Amino acid sequence: MASVSEMYDVGWEEMRDKLRKWREDNFRNSEQIVDVGEELISEHGSKLGDDIWIIYEQVMIAALDCSRDDLALTCLQELRKQFPDSHRVKRLSGMRLEALERYDEANKHYDAILQEDPTNTAARKRKISILKAQGKSTEAIRELNEYLEQFVGDQEAWHELSELYINEHDYGKAAFCLEELMMTNPHNHLYCEQYAEVKYTQGGLENLELSRKYFAQALRLNNRNMRALFGLYMLAGRGTKENKCSVKAVEEMLESMQITMS
Amino acid sequence: MGEVELSCRAYVKMYLHACLFPRCSINGLLLSSSSAGGAVCVTDCVPLLHSHLPLAPITQLALTQVDVWCSQTQQRIVGYYQANACVSDSSPTPCALKIADKIAEQFDSAVLLMLDGSKMSPDYRVPPIVMYERKDSRWTLKDKHMIMLRQWEETRAIAGQMMESGDHMQLVDFDTHLDDITKDWTNQKLNTKIAELASPANGNI
Repeated sequence: MASVSEMYDVGWEEMRDKLRKWREDNFRNSEQIVDVGEELISEHGSKLGDDIWIIYEQVMIAALDCSRDDLALTCLQELRKQFPDSHRVKRLSGMRLEALERYDEANKHYDAILQEDPTNTAARKRKISILKAQGKSTEAIRELNEYLEQFVGDQEAWHELSELYINEHDYGKAAFCLEELMMTNPHNHLYCEQYAEVKYTQGGLENLELSRKYFAQALRLNNRNMRALFGLYMLAGRGTKENKCSVKAVEEMLESMQITMS
Repeated sequence: MGEVELSCRAYVKMYLHACLFPRCSINGLLLSSSSAGGAVCVTDCVPLLHSHLPLAPITQLALTQVDVWCSQTQQRIVGYYQANACVSDSSPTPCALKIADKIAEQFDSAVLLMLDGSKMSPDYRVPPIVMYERKDSRWTLKDKHMIMLRQWEETRAIAGQMMESGDHMQLVDFDTHLDDITKDWTNQKLNTKIAELASPANGNI
């Protein structure tokens, strides 16, 4: 089977840079990371210098995602040798146990970290992930709420909580989480649009009105947001006379963007 | 209630949809191009969402668009499928029941299909699906003997082969279409490939 460098005609530096980009942008393209990372480590490990450790971590997590326990263990062992007492590596051990569905052991790992360092957010979040994986949504929601009381600025956590509430059909609370996110990220069109979707789902005159406003806001922030555009289109013509957004206006907007409804 | 037949094309696309988003709950619509009456023959499917399944606007939008497409192509929506993110629980969620109810309003013999993630590994030789039908306003498990997959071994082989060769990356669901409106949620390219892989002797795919 052709190697990545052969298939895409790239050198090891490009592979390393690609991995860095995926890391920085927090992509979860695990199959690709495993393909590129495995080759990079085995063929060019010596050239990577200190970068190799963070690459081991990235590849290990991707390997867990792809059920490549062999690769994950190799990476983990190298990291353990280099950083024997690290909490960061201990968390990775925990993640491996999670992937193997050995949740009780994983929890023990995280509890041990939290004993030594009660502020370790990574370990707390992993514990919540375990609850989620076990289908214990109510407990996950409760734990996440407690976490957010302490770490009020954690965007990722607020977003995760909104998703959990949406799956439990608790749209009011989901809306609250999204409101927090919109306050701290007023230029993020995705949060506006998701908020609008939640309001739409809640239904009722007031909520639909809010929904329309936030779809419009999302479009103002990003006029390529198709969900917002369709949302506005669907709500057009509804609402009170003063606030009617004419269907014609939305159609004109669609035309100017040269998008046809197929 | 009558028999339900699931075509190769419908099964393979559902399967690929689940493979493309293994960490998300996914859903989609089941379509039929045969006339009403007699056995329900699911000939195609449209993958819909892989995020925020319970939220209304995009689902409504998708249902409308698929409905329009169906009336243009002599098909009808006959069912709904879903695969839950949590592999250990393949029971229908409230949102699945709601959408299935809506479909049943338009088509009496509508089916609700849940993909069982725990049975999707290569070792399992039975179709990883659980089907429900509407009896007395409730969704009840359908008798397994009334569910037919013609040429199951071949369908299974095609699904596996397409996943191995990475074809699931080409599958477009409605969510993907909204991210890039030029992408085709009817998945004509995949339909062609599935037809090519199926043997000529398979007849009615």
